Amino acid sequence: MTEPLLSIRNLQVQFRADSGWVTAVDDVSLDVGEGDCVGIVGESGSGKSVTALSILQLHDRGTTRMPSGSIQYRGDDLLRAEGAALRRIRGREIAMIFQDPMSSLNPVLTIADQISETLRRHQGLTGAAARKRVVELLGLVRIPDAPRRADEYPHRLSGGMRQRAMIAMAIACKPRLLIADEPTTALDVTIQAQVLELLRDLRQELRMSVMLISHDLGVIAEFAQRVVVMYAGRIVEQAPVAELFRQPVHPYTIGLISAVPKLDSDAARLTLIPGRIPGPQEDIPGCRFGPRCAWVQACCRDASPSMMSVSDLQSARCPPRVVALGAPHG
Amino acid sequence: MTDVAFTAAAAAPRRSGVLRRLSRHPAFVVGFSIILLLALCAVLAPLISPIDPSAMKVRFRFRPPSSAFWFGTDQFGRDIFTRVLYGARISLLAGFAVCVISGLCSAAIGVIAAQFRKLDGAIMRLMDALMSFPAILLALGIAAALGPRVSSVIIALTVAYIPAGVRIVRAAALTVREMDYVQAAQISGASSLRIVARHILPNCFSPLLVHLTFIFAYAMLAEAALSFLGVGIQPPVASWGNIIAEGRDYATEAWWVMLFPGIAISLAALSLNLLGDALGDLLDPRLKGGA
Repeated sequence: MTEPLLSIRNLQVQFRADSGWVTAVDDVSLDVGEGDCVGIVGESGSGKSVTALSILQLHDRGTTRMPSGSIQYRGDDLLRAEGAALRRIRGREIAMIFQDPMSSLNPVLTIADQISETLRRHQGLTGAAARKRVVELLGLVRIPDAPRRADEYPHRLSGGMRQRAMIAMAIACKPRLLIADEPTTALDVTIQAQVLELLRDLRQELRMSVMLISHDLGVIAEFAQRVVVMYAGRIVEQAPVAELFRQPVHPYTIGLISAVPKLDSDAARLTLIPGRIPGPQEDIPGCRFGPRCAWVQACCRDASPSMMSVSDLQSARCPPRVVALGAPHG
Repeated sequence: MTDVAFTAAAAAPRRSGVLRRLSRHPAFVVGFSIILLLALCAVLAPLISPIDPSAMKVRFRFRPPSSAFWFGTDQFGRDIFTRVLYGARISLLAGFAVCVISGLCSAAIGVIAAQFRKLDGAIMRLMDALMSFPAILLALGIAAALGPRVSSVIIALTVAYIPAGVRIVRAAALTVREMDYVQAAQISGASSLRIVARHILPNCFSPLLVHLTFIFAYAMLAEAALSFLGVGIQPPVASWGNIIAEGRDYATEAWWVMLFPGIAISLAALSLNLLGDALGDLLDPRLKGGA
């Protein structure tokens, strides 16, 4: 197997709270290969965004302890990068887009100004050359009438258009990895589909890897090749998207999948997982999903379970289920 | 060549948009016209009135307003109209200087407090300490310590008005720095200095600008007050404040000595307040949205 583009090992992130340090992300290990598209799914507070922000060292230094573990990107440890090296990775190698297109563009700068700033920084493009590239990029993200739109201020653009502008800004320097943190959550459904399609096309055209963060299994199923399911700061299951839906192993994943409403079902109530996700400050012995789990056993409360392989491609943090499925690979 | 064309094309809709909206706002038009008129009077004082503002003609003491002395004369027979014109120079200069210097200082200090959280406590406690004195008392103390000069009035008022500006900029910067576009700039590899200069400061500018038009008005009033109290601009140099101060002993027999500089101060303050209100309306992003 070739070296992955991004390799996160045993990432742990802790926040300062009134009562001391609380762990928001614990023992997260995942790989993103060259050209891969990895989806991270989980509820609010499951640690998916915190994981993404740690990759670029964007955690709030005032309230967050330096994450431990390692994040290797093409031989560099991103957690230890600093100064010019870090700024070169940000934007040029790894780019990121966010959930809220309304606040992710600076209201006092035109679209062209904002995009050309990145071009000037990383590619030394200025004046007419930068301008030409901006219009090219806006065309690439399918903004109609790009030359005119380039000179407009963000408030004149619709939400979907702003998200496209944001994407244009992110891909301006042809990054190898794009982290998309809930890129479609704030958009309405038809625009969601268009933006996802755009991301899919760009991924192929620019041959970049994408890490897509979402709480929407539908979006993940449509877009990702491999899925990472997070619960309460930990990864509970990792599998290629087909395997995950064919044979979910972790009880949480099973719950998530059965909670997706189906068009052909006439059930009056939606299926749901009882209880709620614990806060990071809640101390739950053993498996953190235990209190909500229908399969819970005595051993689940004793020790924190570790990830176990179900097959070469699939692994889950639920030893009883992995054993029950019969093929524990260690 | 194309470069120039692009820049011009980019700048044109932006500038005309703001100007067009400003020129349609009645309060802005009125305020701006009055302040422009006062400024013109100050600059063109020697042309409008060829008399020396300090020339004493004892023969003409306490003449009421007439066609010869439009605003009357004072106890030394000096022409009040001429003195009000020349006084506008000092009053507007002091107001403008205080407004600009305190604006620059508040922007710098406010952004430092918002960006460098470790300095925040110390800076803001210092500002609180300065704010705990009434601005005019603080300015009075500083001006008295520095000696009666135009520059000391400006320094005193600048110090007195910095804390309010710092609070405004800091509050705005604290909101702006949490915006996604600041994080987006960080992600695209921008340095902290660049983020502050290009993303944070410009977005804190509108509340500060509105505040500064009021500071301009306050500073002019405070300059008048300091000069009236005797620690500001010293006679025979005329400022609106010290003309009133000199006239107060004769208020019952020569009302015009105090009236006309008083009207000038009120007009200037009124016009700046109109200007500030109009800018406040126009720079409000919620009203900006509709295109």
